[in-house]
Amino acid sequence: MPSLIYIVDDDESVCRALKILLSSYDFEVKTFNSAQKFFDSVANDDPGCLLLDIHMPGLDGWEVQKKILNSGSKRPVIFISAEKQDNAADRALKVGAVGFLQKPVNGQTLVDLINDAKN
Amino acid sequence: MKNIKVVKSTKSCSILPKKAKRPLLRKTTRNILEDKLRFQMEEMVTQNSKLMQGIDREKVAEEQIHIRTKAMEAASDGIFIIDAKDNNFNIVYANPSFQMITGYAKKEIIGHNYFMYAGGNSDLRISGEIRQTLSQGKSFHGELLKFKKNGEKYWCLLRIAPIRDTKGVVTHYVGIKSDITLMKQRVLEIEEQREELLHVTRVGKLAEFVSSLAHEISQPLTAILSYAQAAQRMLKDREPQLQEILQFIVNDDQRAAEVIRRLRYLLKKSKPAFVSLDINTVIRDTVSLIIPQVTAKDKVIKFELDIGLPLIQGDRIQLQQVVLNLISNSLEAMESKKDSHELIIRTSRKDTDTILVQVRDSGCGIPEGNMKKLFSHFFTSKPDGLGMGLSISRSIIEAHGGHLEAENNPDRGATFYFILPIQMKNSNEY
Repeated sequence: MPSLIYIVDDDESVCRALKILLSSYDFEVKTFNSAQKFFDSVANDDPGCLLLDIHMPGLDGWEVQKKILNSGSKRPVIFISAEKQDNAADRALKVGAVGFLQKPVNGQTLVDLINDAKN
Repeated sequence: MKNIKVVKSTKSCSILPKKAKRPLLRKTTRNILEDKLRFQMEEMVTQNSKLMQGIDREKVAEEQIHIRTKAMEAASDGIFIIDAKDNNFNIVYANPSFQMITGYAKKEIIGHNYFMYAGGNSDLRISGEIRQTLSQGKSFHGELLKFKKNGEKYWCLLRIAPIRDTKGVVTHYVGIKSDITLMKQRVLEIEEQREELLHVTRVGKLAEFVSSLAHEISQPLTAILSYAQAAQRMLKDREPQLQEILQFIVNDDQRAAEVIRRLRYLLKKSKPAFVSLDINTVIRDTVSLIIPQVTAKDKVIKFELDIGLPLIQGDRIQLQQVVLNLISNSLEAMESKKDSHELIIRTSRKDTDTILVQVRDSGCGIPEGNMKKLFSHFFTSKPDGLGMGLSISRSIIEAHGGHLEAENNPDRGATFYFILPIQMKNSNEY
């Protein structure tokens, strides 16, 4: 059974492209263009890794990560952001994320990080 | 001013007493004579009194003229009167302040044509404008840059108005000139401070703009890269030509991302972060940011970099700012010169402890008079310049323990160069 990946990004094109890319690595991918839609359709204990954009309308990436942690979920989270934030990578690790990748993200790098997260 | 001298007799004087005691004449004749005399006498008294009143009035007028003259002499504005006769514009009066403001003595002013005397308007255009305004019977009002007798510049607020006689004919012109140099300087200072603020604001806005632009561009770049990489995987071991094209897409996407990364890095406000740096890399990185401008201006940047240079300690962004500033200046210096294309950036070892970076252009060079002021705040020779670039550059280089200088080349153009100390731990090796 293929591993599940959730992508939350307000940019539709980014969602679609990453979905196509990760599907080519035999992941099963579900995309959401807002955090709310993700929480509405995915339960806390559903398996799967989350690729999370930071800058989004509504709940931003940091808030989403906090909510997941507070719910007791063990879901691995990888931040993917177009923003250049000082120490964003450090901050991501500090709040319990698996990693932080700067957009545009290289496919192989992303897949390696996802595989790390699963183990 | 004419002086009126009147010897005044007492007011109550009479030439003859009203009823003089005389031997009786024939009544009628005597009476007639007396009446006549009395009449004449009364007439004289009346006339005399009228005359006295006139003298009084004249005296009051004289006092007023005296006060007005003194006031004009005492005024701190320069006041002058020009004779309107014969169109000669002869100056007939100039108060002491006029003499002080212009630096010319009375005899160098009075009797001379206002437009021709040595302190007159050096700008013929303005002289013509004043003449024309006055000849139409109108008043002139304007701010002019003028020169004192000793050559010193001063800003003058000048107002000239026609004086008319009772028939409305212009007989004279009265002029007032005020030295407004200090006021002007203050206005300029305020203008400079405003420009400085605007500049800081502009930089802030630019950084903000670049940051949001970078974000917006990164999103489609992410999508493009992912699409291309997905396609590469789907075509694995097939369609080598398409594979190659996809690789080009990936490469160019990453190149665009790199440009954004650098741009963002360059505009980031940060404390100086001193790290070990290869100055040649700093230079190449900077040039890559400005190369489209260089090409657009039909110029070429030639590198003469010593690849064996030791590392230096420095802040990458700050040093990039300096290099960028020097290149931009050089490009501007060469802009007007159609026959100068080449800009040379040279690095070399100056001595055991320092390295030398030179930016050499073949532009217009630096006028000798500007050499000293070149690195001061707000000094600029460009119409749209802010005069911040070189002063900021110099303080950056000095904060790195080096110094930034400029000199004109023996043939043409100028060379800006800075010297930086090499990393201390390296010095042990030599």
